[in-house]
Amino acid sequence: MDFLYTIWIPLIPFLLFLLIGLTGMYFKPIVSGIVGTVGLGVITLLSFITAYQYFFVDGMVDGVYQKIVAGSYTWLAFTDTLHIDMGVMLDPIAVMMLLVVSIVSFMVHIYSLGYMKGEKGFSRFYAFLSLFTFSMLGLVVATNIFQMYIFWELVGVSSFLLIGFYYDKPSAVAASKKAFIVTRFADFGFLVGLLLLSYITGTFDFKTLTSPEGIETIRGAGLTFMGASAVTWAMLLIFMGGAGKSAMFPLHIWLPDAMEGPTPVSALIHAATMVVAGVYLVARLFPVFIMVTPESLNVIAYIGGFTSLFAAVIACTQFDIKRVLAFSTLSQIGYMMLALGVSGYGEHGLGFTASMFHLSTHAMFKALLFLGAGAIIHAVHSNYMYEMGGLRKYLPITHLTFLIACLTIAGVPPLSGFWSKDEILAAAWHHDKLLFFIEFAVAGLTAFYMFRLYFSVFWGKETHYHHTPHESPLTMTIPLMLLAVASIFAGFIPFGEFVSSDGIPHHGEIHMNIAVPSVAIGLLGILVALLMYRRETTVPDRIAKALGGFYRTVYHKFYIDEVYLFVTKKIIFNLISRPVAWFDRHLVDGTMNKVAWVVEFSSYRTRQLQSGQLQHYAVFFVAGVLVLVLTFAYFLF
Amino acid sequence: MSILNLFVIVPVLTVFAILFTKDFKGARVVSAIGMGIQLLLAAYLIFAYLDLRAIGITDEMVFTQDILWFPMLNIHYAIGVDGIAVSMIALTAIVVFAGVFASWEVDNLAREFFISLILLATGVFGFFISLDLFTMFLFYEIAVIPMYLLIGIWGSGPKEYSAMKLTLMLMGGSALLLVGLLGLYFYSAPDGGPLTFNILEIAKVHIPVEMQRLFFPFLFVGFGVLGALFPFHTWSPDGHASAPTAVSMLHAGVLMKLGGYGCFRVAMFLLPEAANEMAWIFIILTTISVVYGAFGAIWQKDLKYINAYSSVSHCGLVLFALLMMNETAMDGAILQMISHGLMTALFFALIGMIYGRTHTRMIDQMGGLMKVIPFLSVVYVIAGLASLGLPGLSGFVAEMTIFVGAFQHPDIFHRAATIIAISSIVITAVYILRVVGILLLGPVKNTDYNLLTDARWYERLSTITLLVAIAGIGMFPFWLSDTIMNSLGPIVSRLLAVV
Amino acid sequence: MRHEVLLLAVIILILLMEIFVGKANRKAIIPVSIGLFLLSTLAGFLPAESGQLFGDMYRTNGLIVSMKNILNIGVLIVMLLSAEWLRKEENLDKVSEYYLIMLSTLVGMFYMISSGDFLMFYLGLELASIPMAALAAYDKFRNSSAEAGIKFIFSSALSSGVLLYGLSMIYASTGSIYFTEVAAHMGEQPLQVLGFIFFLAGMGFKISLVPFHFWTADVYEGAPISVTSYLSVISKGAAIFIFSIVLFSVFPMLEPLWQELLYVLAILTMTLANLFAVRQNNIKRFLAFSSIAQAGFILLGIMGGPHLGLTTVVYFILVYVFTNLGAFGVAISISDKTGKENINDYNGLYKTNPMLSLTMMLALFSLAGIPPVAGFFGKFFLFTSAASKGYYILVLIAVLNATISLYYYLRVVKAMFIEKSDHPIAPFRSSLSTRMALALCVAGTFAVGFISWIYEYLYDMTYLLFIF
Repeated sequence: MDFLYTIWIPLIPFLLFLLIGLTGMYFKPIVSGIVGTVGLGVITLLSFITAYQYFFVDGMVDGVYQKIVAGSYTWLAFTDTLHIDMGVMLDPIAVMMLLVVSIVSFMVHIYSLGYMKGEKGFSRFYAFLSLFTFSMLGLVVATNIFQMYIFWELVGVSSFLLIGFYYDKPSAVAASKKAFIVTRFADFGFLVGLLLLSYITGTFDFKTLTSPEGIETIRGAGLTFMGASAVTWAMLLIFMGGAGKSAMFPLHIWLPDAMEGPTPVSALIHAATMVVAGVYLVARLFPVFIMVTPESLNVIAYIGGFTSLFAAVIACTQFDIKRVLAFSTLSQIGYMMLALGVSGYGEHGLGFTASMFHLSTHAMFKALLFLGAGAIIHAVHSNYMYEMGGLRKYLPITHLTFLIACLTIAGVPPLSGFWSKDEILAAAWHHDKLLFFIEFAVAGLTAFYMFRLYFSVFWGKETHYHHTPHESPLTMTIPLMLLAVASIFAGFIPFGEFVSSDGIPHHGEIHMNIAVPSVAIGLLGILVALLMYRRETTVPDRIAKALGGFYRTVYHKFYIDEVYLFVTKKIIFNLISRPVAWFDRHLVDGTMNKVAWVVEFSSYRTRQLQSGQLQHYAVFFVAGVLVLVLTFAYFLF
Repeated sequence: MSILNLFVIVPVLTVFAILFTKDFKGARVVSAIGMGIQLLLAAYLIFAYLDLRAIGITDEMVFTQDILWFPMLNIHYAIGVDGIAVSMIALTAIVVFAGVFASWEVDNLAREFFISLILLATGVFGFFISLDLFTMFLFYEIAVIPMYLLIGIWGSGPKEYSAMKLTLMLMGGSALLLVGLLGLYFYSAPDGGPLTFNILEIAKVHIPVEMQRLFFPFLFVGFGVLGALFPFHTWSPDGHASAPTAVSMLHAGVLMKLGGYGCFRVAMFLLPEAANEMAWIFIILTTISVVYGAFGAIWQKDLKYINAYSSVSHCGLVLFALLMMNETAMDGAILQMISHGLMTALFFALIGMIYGRTHTRMIDQMGGLMKVIPFLSVVYVIAGLASLGLPGLSGFVAEMTIFVGAFQHPDIFHRAATIIAISSIVITAVYILRVVGILLLGPVKNTDYNLLTDARWYERLSTITLLVAIAGIGMFPFWLSDTIMNSLGPIVSRLLAVV
Repeated sequence: MRHEVLLLAVIILILLMEIFVGKANRKAIIPVSIGLFLLSTLAGFLPAESGQLFGDMYRTNGLIVSMKNILNIGVLIVMLLSAEWLRKEENLDKVSEYYLIMLSTLVGMFYMISSGDFLMFYLGLELASIPMAALAAYDKFRNSSAEAGIKFIFSSALSSGVLLYGLSMIYASTGSIYFTEVAAHMGEQPLQVLGFIFFLAGMGFKISLVPFHFWTADVYEGAPISVTSYLSVISKGAAIFIFSIVLFSVFPMLEPLWQELLYVLAILTMTLANLFAVRQNNIKRFLAFSSIAQAGFILLGIMGGPHLGLTTVVYFILVYVFTNLGAFGVAISISDKTGKENINDYNGLYKTNPMLSLTMMLALFSLAGIPPVAGFFGKFFLFTSAASKGYYILVLIAVLNATISLYYYLRVVKAMFIEKSDHPIAPFRSSLSTRMALALCVAGTFAVGFISWIYEYLYDMTYLLFIF
């Protein structure tokens, strides 16, 4: 039995997008919502079928999970070797991502029925959601790097549209613009990188690229540029694209602002799916990285490690709950990148597996956190923790699920976060001690800032709300509960059996020497948070004062935004385009006008020859004759 | 009698028909009908052409017809098309059709307006079907001159100045062109045969290289002026800014394409050695135009200036791709011509419609239009996305083809130029989003905008026609790219034969 | 000989009318003379055989005949255009003078064109120019007109003197005044070359090449506008005809020399004339300078050699007759009705007199060489023939000049179509004759370009250049 039906997985949401987008305004908004949600349900079902068929029926050929191209047609041919195909390729990570994306997207669809109720542009919202789902699924199942780039751009644009969903809110507009331009800049790198790679290898096709002979051809390409081989440049540029989408330092600045979008969107795009596309990209090309340019993997590892620490530190100082979650997302994605960076290949491919594992568990609990945050915001109409407190009795379900999520991310066994994080730390330990200790510290920080959030929202001071918060409707709480279940039990999946760098199942085991201390530091973090935020105390402020300048710097996210602002506003606008505009108006155009002016002026001058005096004319006449004669005489003698 | 003649005859008949209309209502209806017929003709031509190819006709040009006109100078009225010309004709038909509806509200001297507009179109169609350099040049100038009246009479702002500047610069361009053409003519028979203006004939002979060196700059720059080649592009911003909507549409959408088309059909195809030798100069110039235009657009406040500068950037990309001189890049160049033609026409149409409502083109005076005129705003956003190369719309296809083609050159010079050119996709994103952000999104800036009415039926027709074409190419690029690719063979092989 | 005889017959008949027609119905003279001339024009198209008379002092062949026909057409148009102006009271009593003088100059031109030796040539030349002074001073009560007459007679005397001096040198060095023999004995001797240069200068005056052109502007401006049109089209055309004939048939030996001289003169003429024209505001001066510039372009044609070049020149003159007279026609009918002769008087003309404006625009575009009107073909062929000798730089300069000229032609178009005016020229309906003339011009402006056999016919004719 073949997988041809899987092409419907990306197609259905596209059709939904057209349907809702073009006809949505003619029906009651809720209709669009229902249609979209049902469609997503179908997709989720299909993904489960696919997963079952792939992993348990005919994905494996003599002990190795194959890359199966379910269907593919040539969309645009550049040369006879280089052509963009549109198709569906299934392999372990693709199938895994299919599951993650469709599940989270489905949850968000249901959740939004309640959350977005009565919003202006409800059906527009669902149209965009379908567009995003389409793009994300297309990206996941891409058969070649160019198809991936295409859908890469499309997720970018749908994220732009969704961040700017409240388009009459200037901050939202600015945020969406920022997100698009920053990622666009990264994609510039991605594009150049993939062009370079395709020039070296003569193909876009993932299957060929990652096959042993593909690797050989790439190794063969000898040309070097500025010390590094062309391939290294290509791969690093491609990673630049990934870093942009996954908001790795220093391209992370767009993600916190992206929280301007509706909360479900943050949950779907900016926590669970799109932002991990960068990780997915690196995983996709992992064989090339590991076998041709391992050095670039180190770069990736360190960038990942640094980002995770950097973000975790900032997260401890933020008060907007969505921003706290955003920075925690950054930090967790840092984990995944680092895991890929420290991974080996084949039986040493623990990091790879761990990264993918963490990707999926993180998708579940981070989506849960965001949706929970959404429920909270829905209830108290504020984003700021200092306007919250003691919500546990108003929002029991939200509280419980949120707690589960916090425990999961803090890596408390036996919740799913524990397993994936444990593997990552193990992989880091084997590869590079420094990275291990960074991540170890981050684990503690994570636990701390998550529970800082948890306590100050659900416990902390008794706040008086002008209308008492009430638990959200079922459409919102059901997804919460489902995701909670997922985050609890996802950890028990023997992940290595399914996903590995070379497709061969590897048995993963729990590394006690890593697990014990990491759990310990997690608990420590929780404890500190408990002491500081369980009840309203002045401890936090005193600490903040004690840290003084450092605290302020962190609070302002190390002023990275200001740096960017300086670059764009001052340099690009004032130092480049303004002079260009001036140059064009005054020099280039000026020259053209000057030509005309010269003609005018000389005509003004010549006109004075025409005196009207007959004798002058006679003089000119004779002079002319003489000149002719003289020239002739000159030529003659 | 070849079907191609109809592309000249129908507009001329339309012009005569307009002469007999009483008022602007009659005039616009007649023009709409005439250009509608033209559009159908173009559609028919595409299918007829594809059929011919399908049954295995491999002639370089089809639907040819050749009438001896001035025997002594061996000047012919020779017409014929290949896939490239067919696609350009289709583009022209679409843009003109949309243009007529975009200028539905012209009532001052409407008959004269439509007559000049359609005369312009006649010139363009004639240019694309000509195989004889003489007729080609004739139609070229026919296309340029009505522009003066169109801008001068129906324009806005400093219209006299812009119109004069545009006309004189373009005529200066055609002056260079004329010298080049005469040069081609007198070297078209080195072995003492009859001289000829026929492109295909000249393509058979080998023009001495030093003569090529002499004439290539004339021809390339001559056409390049119309193709907005830096630094000869300055007629474009002022011209577009002052021109009435439909004229900007036609001019940026189609007329500027004459430049690119001529550059490869005449300059590069007929003077291959010189093209290969001098390419580097123009690669530098075009690379500059690409980035320069984009940066220029960032700073502008007038919608039309923004679009004019982005046109400079995009048309620069066309010439840039042509000079890369391989099948892929040139295919990309043609695609870019078509896609930019549609996009920029759509942009100018929208700008005209917005201006007709708000009576300003300054983005900082407008804001939040998305709330009050959603249809126009959404279309504007889509046009913007197409222009910044969003997959699924025509711009992406063209640009990617160009970049992949340009990347086939391994040497550092081409690499550098290409990467600089690619960086324009970021800058484009910046200025497009800037406009979208300021103009359409955010709160409604001016309260009396709340009374604005959204697009009327003819405006919707005009914009949707273009939109469909853009999306169509963007989603199913294969057939178009294939058609062009097949016709590029002889040109590219001739260019590559000499290196 | 037919053209001259017919013309003389017309002249005599008009003279008789002058004597016998009474004061009451002098108006009748106008249509009658036009009719008579029309007949002679038509008769001119009847097939004629080549041949020579008076021992090769007079020669004719198909080429020369077609040249004369072209001039006839031009004169006919001028007569039609001037009819309305002649009907005015102050002109009525001297109507026939106008015709007599004009036609006698035409006779002179005919003889000049078909002259076979320098004596006949010179006779024709003088007959063509001296009465012209009277014509220029036609409405003698206007100072400027009188001044124009004086200026013309003096400077033409000067030029004739120079020219005659040159001819005498040639005679001295070659011992003959017959074209064929002069051509036979013509060499590179200094005296001969000197003679040739003087001859060139004299002709340069007639064709009004820079720097021998200064009289043009003042005379054109001063003279009655219909006379101006006659001067700028007919007499210039005739001069160019004979100039090119002589160059090709008498001075072929000096070709390298006169190629260079023409090269320089062409550049000077085009450029300076354009520069002058850019800032003119009086339509007559404006057209005067534009016609000087056109003369510069024509030189490019002459450089193309006896076949391609000569054909192109004759063809261009034909085009030029229709287009330039079209432009003048509009100017004439406007100045007849309103007496306005400034470009900015034309502001908003299209609103009031669309047909006139369109005619003017066509004529100007044709002068500027814009397709699809005949001027485009004419210019294109001129450039082609210059390029055929490899003068690409000259062609480039010429085309750039054409662009400049487009600028000032567009100034007029702008005035008529774009500029608004508080009190534009009131709508009026010009007389039948004027409208016929203009219709003729428009028809010609379109037809001559597209109908390629005209060019072919002329091309075949040029082979008769040396056959009589």
